[in-house]
Amino acid sequence: MREQNAYYTLRSLPGVLILSLLFLLPMAVVFSYAFSNGGNALMEAVEDGYTYRLLSFTLTESFLSAFISVIVALPFAYLFSKYSFPGRSAILTLSALSFTIPTILVVLGFVIWYGNNGILNSLLMNLTGKNYAVIEVLYSFKAIILSHVYLNFPIAFLLITEAWTASSDTAEKASYTLGKGRMRTFISVTLPMIRGSIISAFILIFLFCFSSFAIIMVLGGNPQYSTLETEIYRRARVSGNIPEASALSLLAFFITGAILLISSYGRTKKKTERKSRVLLKAKGRNLLVMCLASLLILLFLIPPILSIVYRAFYTKAGTFTLRAWEEITGRGFGLISTAMEGIIASFLIAFLSSLAAVLLSASMALLSARKNSVILPFLASLPMAAGSVTLGLGFSLLAAYIPHTSPIVSYALVFFAHLIIVLPFSIRTMTPGARTIAPSLSLSAYTLGASMTKTLRKVEMPLLRPYMRKAFAFSFALSLGEVNATLTLSDGHITTLPILIYRLISSYDYQGAAALGTILLLEALIVFAIGEKGGRNAVS
Amino acid sequence: MPYLEIRNLTRKYKDFTLSASFGVEEGDFLCIIGPSGSGKSTLLSIIAGLENPDSGSVILDGKDITDTRIQDRNIGMVFQDFTLFPSMNVLKNIEFGMKTKKKADKDRFALNLLKLVGLEGYEKRSVTSLSGGEAQRVQLARALAAEPKILLLDEPLSALDPPLRKSIRSAIRTIHDTLGITMLYVTHDREEAFTVSDSILLMNEGKSVSMGSAEELYTHPGNLFTAFFTGEGTAIPAHLVYENTTGYLFFRPEDAVLSEEPINPEMYPMHIVFNDLKIVSAEFTGSGYLLGLDYQGYPMLCMSRTKPRKKDVSLMILQASMQNLPE
Repeated sequence: MREQNAYYTLRSLPGVLILSLLFLLPMAVVFSYAFSNGGNALMEAVEDGYTYRLLSFTLTESFLSAFISVIVALPFAYLFSKYSFPGRSAILTLSALSFTIPTILVVLGFVIWYGNNGILNSLLMNLTGKNYAVIEVLYSFKAIILSHVYLNFPIAFLLITEAWTASSDTAEKASYTLGKGRMRTFISVTLPMIRGSIISAFILIFLFCFSSFAIIMVLGGNPQYSTLETEIYRRARVSGNIPEASALSLLAFFITGAILLISSYGRTKKKTERKSRVLLKAKGRNLLVMCLASLLILLFLIPPILSIVYRAFYTKAGTFTLRAWEEITGRGFGLISTAMEGIIASFLIAFLSSLAAVLLSASMALLSARKNSVILPFLASLPMAAGSVTLGLGFSLLAAYIPHTSPIVSYALVFFAHLIIVLPFSIRTMTPGARTIAPSLSLSAYTLGASMTKTLRKVEMPLLRPYMRKAFAFSFALSLGEVNATLTLSDGHITTLPILIYRLISSYDYQGAAALGTILLLEALIVFAIGEKGGRNAVS
Repeated sequence: MPYLEIRNLTRKYKDFTLSASFGVEEGDFLCIIGPSGSGKSTLLSIIAGLENPDSGSVILDGKDITDTRIQDRNIGMVFQDFTLFPSMNVLKNIEFGMKTKKKADKDRFALNLLKLVGLEGYEKRSVTSLSGGEAQRVQLARALAAEPKILLLDEPLSALDPPLRKSIRSAIRTIHDTLGITMLYVTHDREEAFTVSDSILLMNEGKSVSMGSAEELYTHPGNLFTAFFTGEGTAIPAHLVYENTTGYLFFRPEDAVLSEEPINPEMYPMHIVFNDLKIVSAEFTGSGYLLGLDYQGYPMLCMSRTKPRKKDVSLMILQASMQNLPE
């Protein structure tokens, strides 16, 4: 309906304009540096063998991380889409929680749990009686892959389990009646049904690891483990060579852009299944297997995060202390004394940027769903392709054009950087929600004489609200844990909670980092609870 | 002038063109029937304003509403899908489109409508807890609450079980008779159209093929498509019976009399007689047998109270049921 499309287009305009402006402005500045002096920096980057080493390492770690995450997730997804047992939904909820856990917490959790002097090694040393680290995993390639798998295994597990559970098992049963065995049925019938979810999980994780930053910086701990993203940061912030950083940004943007474009091109329209499979109640041996699988997931996911909370109250030697907490509340000195400022700043930036993102993306999601638009999702995926370090670099270069001394301008820039980073995720979270609102529902409101605004307010928005809540929670968590852009953009004025944690880890104050990490974790948990409420109320 | 007039309406699609012209009198119950993809729902969408025509006009109560916004047409519509607003309860759904502003008036009207559709006491219920039949009744009440000039129903019962369909369709007819509202009812179910309608518009491949009462269309179909869509029958080339004629002869199974003995045509000069037919199939229909016959390679259908013992039979077609039809 032309009139309806025009209405939604008009309502989406502010969002589209802000999205375009916040993406184009910083990118234009970055690109202008890349092409400055006749494109010298770009030519050098293209001709430099080191660029290809960086690229090769980035692709390798991304591929391995995505591949291992998916492969490990598959058997668990099989079990969880076949059997029901009392702890099933708790495990799935815990996996969903990982979407909102900031990366910096994973970094911190890994250092405290897996470190040479970490809790795991202390436990193992006590058990084995050895006086050296039993597991040496940190500051290596293994650490990068392990932490990426830690962060992304739940994503693969959830996506594949959801798709697998939602797919009907009638075709499988038909295959069995035709005399085919389990393996043959899995390869010929089941796998094609869940292939889409496996591929999309792989691509999602690949892209995430491609632009991974804090993990590479801290857990890699070696310049040979540099990725394009960390190298952009290093050249911009450490060497101060902006043209080189810009040239690498341009390169990274085209690679991720191409991957995003190919993956969106290959995505076929998902056919909704009439009947999802009925889960079998796990009994006897199956129940034991399910419990074991759950235990494995719990043992993998829980200790690093829990160790942050432990370490916030205990010294490395195991003595109870409130030192870090006293410093946070202002009685202490050092880096941590700015903690309260960081906590408030993080909260405000996350709150405002996610609120703005949700308000702007509601109309865009509705327009995208109604018009089955290709341009809008593409536009929304551009900032994701650019990467947050590049966007942060763009905003910091923009800041140079604005003469300012006031910290408010710095905070405003961080707000805009966060807004452009969370906006695509907000749109992506809401668009499937908007798609569940049947067009005939709005049409029936029109036939009852309701105006488009009344229909939007009374019919569409109430249905979109759970998704808005989810998008808000997701955006909030993303902004709350944002390190890449904020660190690149940081001019000393800005101290957000993750940046503080990052600095404390760098200065080996793990207890301070753990205390702040506990606060960040608490905020992430609250936000997650708000988002989950949205999920349950979603009407499909 | 008809109350609703569809004048030379056309709408082109990639592989399909809708063209229609017809009129509906005030208070009429018109059923639009036709096979899937014949353009019934598209026609309804254009009348409601959900889609725009390429040319032609829609005139309601003497006013051209072709370019009027959906919201201003005052045409009610009941959809095939579940279109109740999940965020509102039954009462709020019904009151959504009401013109009156006073809450007390709204409530009274809504409760009356709920009574009319047989859902008294359902006002506080969540719409997501309703069964398919209940949801369609609430949709009907909601559409009526907006006091539309005409009510369009787009296959409202197609998702329901047959027994439920029967009860709701008779409820719809009763509501029509009580309120005297003009209704356009799309269905692909012939029996449904026959039972509830005052008149029927038959569509095929985007065109209106014929229009009339159920009896007229059944007994005097006017063309082969109408003949076969409105019921079972046999069409044979007319030259088999009359020399130098073109077209087809059509008769209903119940208008053919079966004999197990040869019939002498000269004894029945007013009727057509076929001898030497073979029975190829016999379906028990409850009231008798529907027999499939073969006459010189032409298939024929006839009804018989009893199952014939012989395979070779004769058939006499009652003259009144014969029609010479163009293809």
